[in-house]
Amino acid sequence: MRRICLNVVFLCVIAGSVFDIATDQEHWPFSQYPMFSGLWTSPTFTWLRLFGVTADGREFALDANRYVAPFDQSRLPKALKRLMDGPGGAARVRAALPDLLARYEQLRRADAHEGPPIVALRLYELEWTIDRHAANVDRPDRRRFIAEARP
Amino acid sequence: MKAIAAWWNAFWFAPAPPLRLGVCRALFFGTLLLWQLPHDFSPWGAYSRVFWMPIWLFETTGLQPLAPAAIAGLQTIWKAALLLSAIGLFTRPAMIVAFGLGAYLMGLPHNFGQTQHFDTLVVFASGALALSHAGDAWSVDAWMAARRTQRPQREQRPQSEQGPQSAQRAIDGEYTWPIKFVWVMMALIFCAAGISKLRHSGLAWIASDNLALLLLRQQYHLSDGEPLTSWGIWVANHPWAARPMAAMSVSVETLFPLTLFSRRARMLLVPAGLGFLVGIRMLMGPTFEQFMLCYVFWVPWDRVLYNAPLYAAHAARGAGDRRGELSTAGTGAGAATGH
Repeated sequence: MRRICLNVVFLCVIAGSVFDIATDQEHWPFSQYPMFSGLWTSPTFTWLRLFGVTADGREFALDANRYVAPFDQSRLPKALKRLMDGPGGAARVRAALPDLLARYEQLRRADAHEGPPIVALRLYELEWTIDRHAANVDRPDRRRFIAEARP
Repeated sequence: MKAIAAWWNAFWFAPAPPLRLGVCRALFFGTLLLWQLPHDFSPWGAYSRVFWMPIWLFETTGLQPLAPAAIAGLQTIWKAALLLSAIGLFTRPAMIVAFGLGAYLMGLPHNFGQTQHFDTLVVFASGALALSHAGDAWSVDAWMAARRTQRPQREQRPQSEQGPQSAQRAIDGEYTWPIKFVWVMMALIFCAAGISKLRHSGLAWIASDNLALLLLRQQYHLSDGEPLTSWGIWVANHPWAARPMAAMSVSVETLFPLTLFSRRARMLLVPAGLGFLVGIRMLMGPTFEQFMLCYVFWVPWDRVLYNAPLYAAHAARGAGDRRGELSTAGTGAGAATGH
């Protein structure tokens, strides 16, 4: 009886995996594992990035995971992009930013990062031309303001 | 049909001693605990609902993000369950708790905008172990059970009568299938990733500058982990390195299921798959460490542990022989130089 049950489990899990692979869908923990499967041909790309604003008006990029943890530099921009592209996108992004500002300050007070105190958080869309030595990481070609949050 | 059923049963339930699975259990849960110990899932409970974009598992089961304090409590229980699973104390209930809470906690971040894929195999492996008899060896439970049963047996029967019966109990198909399950899931995952690349990009994924652009792009702080080296830039600037690397990546991924059927393929593709994951971490950043933990299931621990003392003794004998040869050679040299 136990072996029959185990065989049913094997077949169900394998079938779930094969279904997602065949239909190019994702039902975590089943997945078609699409990471890096797209074809990159363009030398440019855009990415959403948060910037902190200090009391003297200076802006700096929150480009390390420790500023936005438990989010990271992959998940957070994609989450914000999904919010932006959904219905009521602008309002949803404006609603999301205060959480991220509060989290930055919480992490700073806990000495989880060395960033300065900030008075505002800004979201930009950055565009880069890929440099063959990635020397322009801190100098995007363009940036477009999306939203701002203040405490 | 009978032949297929026989093959299926032989694949999953080939008789084996419990040692290998017991070591896999201890190492898998032990290293998972070490990896997860510094990770705190509780902040996910503090984000506003605007971030909540539930994945299929959470949507269909109605699972919700709990308050930070509740998540902190759950993760404490989870980590305690990982510890108990690793040392093999209350092994079965500990592994069930480790699987149930692990699926919730590891799944939780994927509801916040992006599904990542580092932990799916960990969930499947935990689930398989939770259903298994992985606590029958290399566990506190097994040690305590042996102490309980051996004492009265020693009093009743001579030792020579106990050996064969113990050996018969010890070898069972139950100790094979959890390992094979992890193999199958790893093969499916690698193969799926290879198929995805070919489906979405075709052979251009290999033959174009795709990988070079990808490696360079990953230097712009876009990943859940920074690349551990800047070697990706070097590879990207040398098409003779980037394109074969792309070809090798797709080949290792799509061919990985051969490891299930061929010992030779296992010898080649299992280390290649591990090297591929290490390469991603070094050159691109994504953190596949949890996935790599599941490589403990590929090691024949019973043979390693059985052979280790023999190798050590052999090496010691060899070293002794070499010392003897050296001393003889030294004497000879001394004689030759007249000392």
